[in-house]
Amino acid sequence: MTTTPLSIASHGAPRQRLARLGQRAALRLGGGLLVLWAVATLTFFALRLMPGDPVLAILGGPSGNPTPETIAEVTREYGLDKPLVVQYGLYLARLVQGDLGVSYSQHMPVTRVLAEQAGATLELTLSSLVLAWLLVLALTVFTAGRRGWVGRLASLAETLCAALPHFWLGIVLLAVFAFGLRLFPPAGSDGWATLVLPSIALAVPLAGFIGQVTRESLELTLDQPFILTARTRGLSDSAVRFRHALRHAVLPGISLSGWAIGALISGAVVIEVIFSRKGLGRQLYQAVQAQDLPLTIGISLVVAAGYVVANILVDLMYQWVDPRQQEALA
Amino acid sequence: MPDLHPYRPVTTTRPLALACLLAATVLGTGCDRHEASAVRSTVPTPGGTLVYATDREPTCLDPHVGGDMPQVFLAQQVLDSLVSMNAQGTIGPWLAKRWDVSADGLTYTFYLRDDVHFTDGTPFNAAAVKANLDHMANPKTQSSTAGGYIRQYRGTDVVDTYTARVHLETPYAAFLEVLAQGFLGIESPKALLRTRDVNCESPVGTGPFKVVRWDRQSQVELVRNPDYNSAPPTAQHQGPAYLERIIWKFIQEPSVRFASLQAGEVDVIEALPPESHEAARRNPDLQLIIAQRPGNPTNGTLNIRRAPFNDIRVREAFVRSADIEGALKSVYFGEFPRAGGPLSQATRFYSPDFEHAQDYDPARAAQLLDEAGWSRRDSQGYRIKDGQRLQVHVILGNRTPPSEFTLWEQVQATTRQAGIELVMEQMSDVQATKRQADWDYDVRVGYWNTNTADVLRIIFSSAFIQPAGVGGYHQNTAGFSDPAFDSLVQQALATQDPAQRQALYRQGQAIASSQYLQLTTYPQSTRLGIYKTTQGVRLEPSLAVTYLYDAWVNK
Repeated sequence: MTTTPLSIASHGAPRQRLARLGQRAALRLGGGLLVLWAVATLTFFALRLMPGDPVLAILGGPSGNPTPETIAEVTREYGLDKPLVVQYGLYLARLVQGDLGVSYSQHMPVTRVLAEQAGATLELTLSSLVLAWLLVLALTVFTAGRRGWVGRLASLAETLCAALPHFWLGIVLLAVFAFGLRLFPPAGSDGWATLVLPSIALAVPLAGFIGQVTRESLELTLDQPFILTARTRGLSDSAVRFRHALRHAVLPGISLSGWAIGALISGAVVIEVIFSRKGLGRQLYQAVQAQDLPLTIGISLVVAAGYVVANILVDLMYQWVDPRQQEALA
Repeated sequence: MPDLHPYRPVTTTRPLALACLLAATVLGTGCDRHEASAVRSTVPTPGGTLVYATDREPTCLDPHVGGDMPQVFLAQQVLDSLVSMNAQGTIGPWLAKRWDVSADGLTYTFYLRDDVHFTDGTPFNAAAVKANLDHMANPKTQSSTAGGYIRQYRGTDVVDTYTARVHLETPYAAFLEVLAQGFLGIESPKALLRTRDVNCESPVGTGPFKVVRWDRQSQVELVRNPDYNSAPPTAQHQGPAYLERIIWKFIQEPSVRFASLQAGEVDVIEALPPESHEAARRNPDLQLIIAQRPGNPTNGTLNIRRAPFNDIRVREAFVRSADIEGALKSVYFGEFPRAGGPLSQATRFYSPDFEHAQDYDPARAAQLLDEAGWSRRDSQGYRIKDGQRLQVHVILGNRTPPSEFTLWEQVQATTRQAGIELVMEQMSDVQATKRQADWDYDVRVGYWNTNTADVLRIIFSSAFIQPAGVGGYHQNTAGFSDPAFDSLVQQALATQDPAQRQALYRQGQAIASSQYLQLTTYPQSTRLGIYKTTQGVRLEPSLAVTYLYDAWVNK
């Protein structure tokens, strides 16, 4: 964002500051673990309290034809004959040891499913986030605070983008650029070409959100006296915007990005289904449908962990971008 | 094969169709673009890669485990079966050269080919047959379909290297028929010794292709078995397959699948959506294969264990008050024919006599309901008796495709005319299963794909009223129990004589039809779209499953 060296007014020794930062990170981490435990517990009970027998889910749905022996064997193998509380205890104990269990529906360890699918979703989420920020930097930063139709039009565009549902955008992009113009493949998850349309579908609504927030704070910043000072020093408009104003105005956008990681992953469920991409979102959708308890919890945990990590990162980034935050810490 | 959800689970096609329209108007381009037609070569060319796209990903590539339709489609390319079935439903040799059946129908002796090897080098022999049947019957395999079809299995003797003697508990004339299904395909006994989950990833057969890699949620890669020498007599050629490689892709969204086919990005698609049939027919680049699957057609089965369907007059009135033909025309654009009897046309021993035994007849429906005492109507026009409204509840799981839901809405509209209130209850599949297990429904929507008329025994005989196990559910969804019917379908298993079986199954169909146990709608079907560069794609007759052994590409 900026290359201007920072002159940080530091209070206290750097070591003290580091310690405080470490404390803060530890606190965040503890909170994160609590969130993970809550997610595991909620998902476990939500899925287990759904009416119906998971054995039948394991054996391939409502009108399978299994023998009584087969049903007994499945019940035994997955420990479904024990009381629910015992199952929960066993499950937590295994979880603490990092054992997520074996997926009912995929016939392989949950960790392996996660390893195989997480990459594609991460790729999609990150490229969408980067694309969203590029759009914000390109459109919002240039048009914020401009009186007249340019500013108003850009602001309207942001509102419209933010209101677009992912699935609708995905389908329109498919129809126009994949089916119609045939510029990009309509399905699959190998190579950059398959990443373009899904990323756009996820990035545009997000860019709308971040853009709205950034525009508001940018407009406030542009009215500050130091901006006027910078302008009187003869700096060009874009230099003022990018080097001076943006640094102040970008904070709400950054904290929104932490939330956006979560929103992107939930958006990925729909987008991965529409574009037939592999990934955690589509896998989660299938896992819930198949009542695949270990896999559903495993994916929920990874998503929650992603959320926690993203928020810790955002927190740290805050410190880096805005020195005032460090003073507040002191 | 039992399977309630052959289609994509949730996303509908309509928004996409709309988007195509949008693209067409805005950009002057749509979803029907064609390029110049290539000339199809009629001479098979070896080599090349075929890209196949289907809707659902199997959960395991070993068809013995679980047993759902996506598994058998893929397994058909990788595994050979003990016996084959031709389009007429007659059983022929395959890995077994010939067989004898004992007079009591309890012992089957198979004389096996002595020149076949699995793709891991293991020889095919009697021990392999024993290992496979034991594997399907073993509860640890968690076999729902293959294991369920051979409940009568007691054990196999290895008489000599190439002779296997299979013992059954009770006579089971449908044994050879189910053996011809890909679900009971033969796998390498050495590979079966691995854990179930490893075998799920890379089953080993004697078939024309072998599994190389399964990239989950994306594709399975198959390569040709260069030493293949055991093609069935139903195949068009012998020796190795023409195709070098098959990429078996999973594209869930039907319109994306169809668009990928039109663009030539994939060569063959499965589960062609009915709304695209017409577009596919008009497109000179595409060829269609549509075939009905044998078994019990799609239907709503009536629960006769509680009111109001415990009264046969109400059952008949309900069935006759539903205008299925009209509903099919409007929902599936006339692409799905009506199935009127308990067996679909493609089933061996199907009798056409019952095709129109249950046709739409609102006058007769009204008369029957009057007779049954439902003669008065309430303010909304529904019939009442003893202060109770004539109400029936249909249970639909959440994986029921939207089109099926619409079909039942049409049924609802026509039964309303007769004064019957059809209440559609949509819920999660698990809840639906629970309601089924508790007999808490009046109509349950389902179907059963299998290549034998013995399906009548599974869905209507009293043995299947009991749930399969603790927490299980019954297969006889109607709750029909009739000793005469039970003995008929049992007799049909005790004879090998086709004429006798034909006669017995005709009687079985007559009873099922005359009891109005189901409102049958349309037969299940396999629907392939094939791009111009691909030829020789066929359906394996036992379950109408894609068979790529004879296919080739000119690319």
